[in-house]
Amino acid sequence: MLLSKIKIRQSLSLKVLVTSLGFSIIIAAVIGISVHNRVATTIINEKIAISKVETANALYLAQGHFYIARFQDDSGLNKVVQDFITSSREDGSLSGRETVILPFAKSGNEQSVYQTVPTLLVLDSIPKSFREQVRQADEVLDKRVTIRYSDGKEFPGFLIGGKLNIPRTGVYEIYYLFKLDAQYQSISVITWTLFAAGLLLVLLIGLSTQFVIKQVVSPVQQAAAVAEKFTQGDLTSRMSVSSEDELASLGKSFNEMAVSIQQQIARLENLSLLQQRFVSDVSHELRTPLTTLRMAAEVIYEQKGNFDANIARSSELLINQIDRFELLLSDLLEVSRFDAEAAALGVVNFDISNLVKKTVDYLHPSKSALFEVLTPVEPIQIEGDPRRIERILRNLITNAVDHGEGKKVQVQIKTSENEVAIGVRDYGLGFNEEDAPYLFDRFWRADPSRARTSGGTGLGLSIALEDAKLHQGQLLAWGKPQQGAHFVLTLPKLHGNSVQSFPIALAPDDLVSTEN
Amino acid sequence: MPLVMVVDDDQDLAEMLSIVLTGAGMEVDLVNRGDQVMDLFNTNTPDLILLDVMLPGIDGIEVCKLIREKSMVPIVMLTAKGDTHDVVLGLEAGADDYMVKPFKPQELVARINTRLRRVAKVGTLGICDLVIDQMEHKVIKNGKEIALTRLEFDLLAALAKEPGRVFTREALLSEVWGYQHAADTRLVNVHVQRLRSKIESDADNPEYVLTVRGVGYKAGAAKV
Repeated sequence: MLLSKIKIRQSLSLKVLVTSLGFSIIIAAVIGISVHNRVATTIINEKIAISKVETANALYLAQGHFYIARFQDDSGLNKVVQDFITSSREDGSLSGRETVILPFAKSGNEQSVYQTVPTLLVLDSIPKSFREQVRQADEVLDKRVTIRYSDGKEFPGFLIGGKLNIPRTGVYEIYYLFKLDAQYQSISVITWTLFAAGLLLVLLIGLSTQFVIKQVVSPVQQAAAVAEKFTQGDLTSRMSVSSEDELASLGKSFNEMAVSIQQQIARLENLSLLQQRFVSDVSHELRTPLTTLRMAAEVIYEQKGNFDANIARSSELLINQIDRFELLLSDLLEVSRFDAEAAALGVVNFDISNLVKKTVDYLHPSKSALFEVLTPVEPIQIEGDPRRIERILRNLITNAVDHGEGKKVQVQIKTSENEVAIGVRDYGLGFNEEDAPYLFDRFWRADPSRARTSGGTGLGLSIALEDAKLHQGQLLAWGKPQQGAHFVLTLPKLHGNSVQSFPIALAPDDLVSTEN
Repeated sequence: MPLVMVVDDDQDLAEMLSIVLTGAGMEVDLVNRGDQVMDLFNTNTPDLILLDVMLPGIDGIEVCKLIREKSMVPIVMLTAKGDTHDVVLGLEAGADDYMVKPFKPQELVARINTRLRRVAKVGTLGICDLVIDQMEHKVIKNGKEIALTRLEFDLLAALAKEPGRVFTREALLSEVWGYQHAADTRLVNVHVQRLRSKIESDADNPEYVLTVRGVGYKAGAAKV
């Protein structure tokens, strides 16, 4: 019930159909019932009226005969009366009419009392009150009654009653009982015909409504489908406009809107493309002068033994800054590649455990005492781009060393069935909770006033996050001021899967004891 | 003294390159336009060409193709775009190696020296019916000499020297190209393809340079 209600609410065509069917059923019912009543009443009343007139005529005629027969002897009169009774009963047997003659006021001759009642008829079918009226009246009367028989049968019918004066015998009440079953039968035929006609009407209205719905609703449905496609990103989808009606103008407006949205989006895309191109071009254009600069600096640097101390130191600084500049440039280029979604994964199968060890050794050979590396004994084979994963590790480890204030840095690897996680934990400065959302932003610094000690570009974590995302991995950070930071990289072991569980919890477990 | 032709439209960079290379004991010819390369090449053939990709006149890729039509001289491309298909295009056009700007001068000199190195080796090597004459720097197949660049020859000789060994791409990069640490393995792929197209009868079903899936390459075994 509720479900169907919801369905009706959801579908415009169903709503229209149900409404129009409801109205047409009501109209058909009202018309049908009133026509039926009218026809039924007319049929019955007509029958009664005709019967009444006929009866009156017959009685008048019979009365005439009786008057003429008055001059005959008793047996002659008797014969006329009997003939009349017989003929009226015989006539009645053909038309389903029953004749009842009852004595009412007797006069003289007792011997010849006429009384005729059909054998099975229950005399109560003629109500006492009606008999009273007939006795009083001078004309023929009628009344609707139910005709009952002693065998239990009942028929709807009517009664016509009159008086008959039989000379020398007295006044008799004569009643004709007409059954109306034939009329009711025809009325029921009419009823069924009307019902069928009504049904047909409702059906036709339903069909025509369906047709109208198709004409009106299906373009609306099409519009809805097109709009949905448009929402899902297919900016080229348009409504088909083939006529001049309101629906066509809806389609036209929709299409105009679609064109303007598409243009706007294209303009914005173009702008951002231009910007990305610009960053990429700038990075590339800077490379040639930087090459010259580097070579010149190296040539000077190689000769530094011949210069005085200030110039020698200057050449060192020059080289260092060129290194940093170069790093910044290649990071910028990488960022522009991510922005252009042009970064490609070179997926191979490799041992990530080995990669972690190699990265730690390669990065800080002089600070190896600082590191605590916890890796499982057996190799961990995963599918990924080792160059990018190494870059993430390098960023995290360098970060930890830079902010670790000389305390130890713990690097651990743990695996689950489908994931591998690498946690890099330092016990240095840490960061405020409110800074957490900005950690991975480009060029973001926790404390702008703090001196920059490392050669970091400010893009490292942002690139690391993008690299992790490319692998469908997760890179999360935890930190507390003066308690250090914990960065956890979680990667699916197989390329194309996503991370379902986290082998290393983000909140470091060595903290729980100090907090409690 | 080896003669290096430096083709670059950036005057300052070209001059700087010539300072560095002269300092490393080489002679340098400078060219600024792509369409001037062939004229100078014909009059004063260099031992190695340092070629920028973006050049006025005709670009570095085209220049590379033109040179390869005439000569097997080593070509090292200079590119500002390390990642784009420029690199692959350059290698396919016949360059032996490439340097991504900005590079360190020591690295450039080391790379050039590897390409110029002509270690006198004695004896002949062979893969199946292929004869590799190290003295004469010739490869002979069915009695005919096949023209290979020096890099292609070195690649083939490296494989032929140790017939059973499977070389990883990294091992080849270090032996043939002289890279100290991991570099672009596309270099190896492209040059193996080029080498195959020259020596194999059917490059799709190689006999001499075989691929070992997931590992690298090895020399084909002699048929029994």
